[in-house]
Amino acid sequence: MLDTWKKTKTIKEKPRMLRIEDKVLYHVLLSIAFISASFVIWIAIFISIRGMMPFLTDNGGLGRVALWQFLTDTVWLRGQTFVSTAYGAGFLVLNTLYVVFLSLLISFPVGVFTALFIAKIAPRKLAYIMRTAVEMMASIPSIVYGLVGAGVIVPMIYSSARVFGTHSSGGNSTLAVVIVLAFMSIPTMTAVSEVSIRSVDKNLEQASLALGASNIQTQFKVVLIAAKSGIFAGAILAVGRALGEATAVSLVAGNSRSGPNFGLFDITSTITSTMLQGLKETSGIDYDIRFSLGVLLMIVIVVTNIVLNVVKRKVGKLNGE
Amino acid sequence: MANKRKVKDFLMRLVTYLGAAFSLFFLTVTLIYIVSNGAGLINLGLFTGDYHARYYGGRTESESSCIECSEPETYKGFYSPKYGIALYDDYDRAGNVVIRVSYVDAHSPFSLMQDTNNPSQTASLSIDDVVTRIAYYDQPSALTRNGAEMMILSLESSEDIREITFATLGGGIRGSLITTLYLIGLSLMFAIPTGILTAIYFAEFAPVNRLTNLMRSFIETLTGVPSIIYGLLGITVFIPITVRLNLSEGPNLFAGAMTMAVILLPVVIRTTEESLKSIPKSYRHASLALGANYTQTVRKVVLPNALPGIMTATFLAIGRIIGESAALIFVLGTAVKDRVRVTESSTTLSVHIWSVMTDEPANIELASSIALIILVIVLILNIGVKYMSYVINKKFRGVV
Repeated sequence: MLDTWKKTKTIKEKPRMLRIEDKVLYHVLLSIAFISASFVIWIAIFISIRGMMPFLTDNGGLGRVALWQFLTDTVWLRGQTFVSTAYGAGFLVLNTLYVVFLSLLISFPVGVFTALFIAKIAPRKLAYIMRTAVEMMASIPSIVYGLVGAGVIVPMIYSSARVFGTHSSGGNSTLAVVIVLAFMSIPTMTAVSEVSIRSVDKNLEQASLALGASNIQTQFKVVLIAAKSGIFAGAILAVGRALGEATAVSLVAGNSRSGPNFGLFDITSTITSTMLQGLKETSGIDYDIRFSLGVLLMIVIVVTNIVLNVVKRKVGKLNGE
Repeated sequence: MANKRKVKDFLMRLVTYLGAAFSLFFLTVTLIYIVSNGAGLINLGLFTGDYHARYYGGRTESESSCIECSEPETYKGFYSPKYGIALYDDYDRAGNVVIRVSYVDAHSPFSLMQDTNNPSQTASLSIDDVVTRIAYYDQPSALTRNGAEMMILSLESSEDIREITFATLGGGIRGSLITTLYLIGLSLMFAIPTGILTAIYFAEFAPVNRLTNLMRSFIETLTGVPSIIYGLLGITVFIPITVRLNLSEGPNLFAGAMTMAVILLPVVIRTTEESLKSIPKSYRHASLALGANYTQTVRKVVLPNALPGIMTATFLAIGRIIGESAALIFVLGTAVKDRVRVTESSTTLSVHIWSVMTDEPANIELASSIALIILVIVLILNIGVKYMSYVINKKFRGVV
């Protein structure tokens, strides 16, 4: 209604009463929209403040948490809980980025190929079945993925660790986290890739076909390349989700207290899984430090997003987009 | 040359088939696992039962056996004519072997006993209870591991019962189910009006300028915030608000609902706005041309036509509430409750899964049952969403 709204503002003959009513509505709506938009600022401000507290106050006589040590140390807590404040989360950042990167190695190709299959290659009925399947995967809550991870993947890893000549702590491992995260990301990857594959200009395809390329060659060498910026956007979205996933990861990670844990069969812990540890107490430094982890998580997500977006732009330019 | 190309083409085609097969494979594994593990526990008792078992010890008033007791026509397991009860072997919801009661005669001495834990109270054995031990003065105790048949035999041969220890079954999800329903109701109460009004602003009134774009991008950013961060928001903002209002002393359902509402906002706003945009311009122009003002147009033309879209938003929101776990762990707590109060902590179905999975030992069967329930609900919601989009498409087809 915007067009007409703007125009009528200048029409003087409109009955006064009605115009006041409209103005009231406009301002009510504007303020509600303002509140909706402000939540993200609230989140940033309130969590940052609480997250900074452990570094600025003496935490009830325990002393400050050293910021540099928190950012770089390889042991979660040196000393006893509620006695020491020597927290370190550097290895958690590395672990988090590591598992997300590995999960992308699985979800990226699978997601892209599934999307190409649905959009271009599958017969219509099969495509419909696959699309429904992917939609279903997308709607499964993450805790269910965690449950399946703990019930299926973890025992499988436990028994297969022996085959590889190592052992794993009950199967809770980096590999389990990677697989759970990968499967959670596949629907996101697929959905976004499919949209961008579909939106590729038909002329490009036809030009390629006219030049004598086979259909499948066209799909791989023309359509996928043309859709790559959309596919990359899907990857960024998937990475964002995977970085922030908490409950599913915490069920299969094994929660190491020191790291970084790069071995596939070793237990691991991410920023989020550590935030969910030991929730019995709801006060004190061991509880408050979660907010610092939350701030760290937000920083990691924002930085990763920026870096990936820069990469995306570079990749786009390389092929003369 | 042509052959080589054919092989290459085949390989590339194969890769896409493999990718799709891989996705499908995992979905199948997930569904099979959840159904095969969870279906066994699904019955009415699961939905209506308490999670926490209550334990009783009972001492019979008299040593006399039950003369008036008559054997029922049908019962499970083994019947004791002397005491008028029938017991059978079963598994509880954690998969442990238990002995359960399938029949208690009204005249049985077990139907009215003195509670040994609480001597002023009475305890009564009822159907479906779990009998863990019967201790005698004149012979060794009958325990669960000896089985129901042995327990009945020992009852028959004994004259002098010292104590019977029994418990309710436990492992039910009634509390979590109620919490989930409460949370859905309360969250929608906060999120749907706010979301719809915001969507109306953006779709109908917002001028095209930088402020609007900024507000839009802020709301869009909410989608990318991980749910665990919303949990922290709940702790720092919403729980203190409810405590300040004297509603509660700690984690509670109101704070949970407010947190959920913020999580839901971007979904509700986007879905509603899309449905508003799908309403043809001509509808609004017709209303305005008939002399209605904007408020009237919004209320009487735009909103009714956006109803399918609003329904879609509601379905998506419900799905999100049911699936949410990380945020609610912080704002609602992780302790499973049987008596749910909106001013106290409790768990939704998803958090219940997390709770039983992080217990030692993890109860995978119960978790799978809850997951199965969640999946069924989510599936129904998905069908609802599809139906609504079909309704919208049909309604405005061909209208400019």
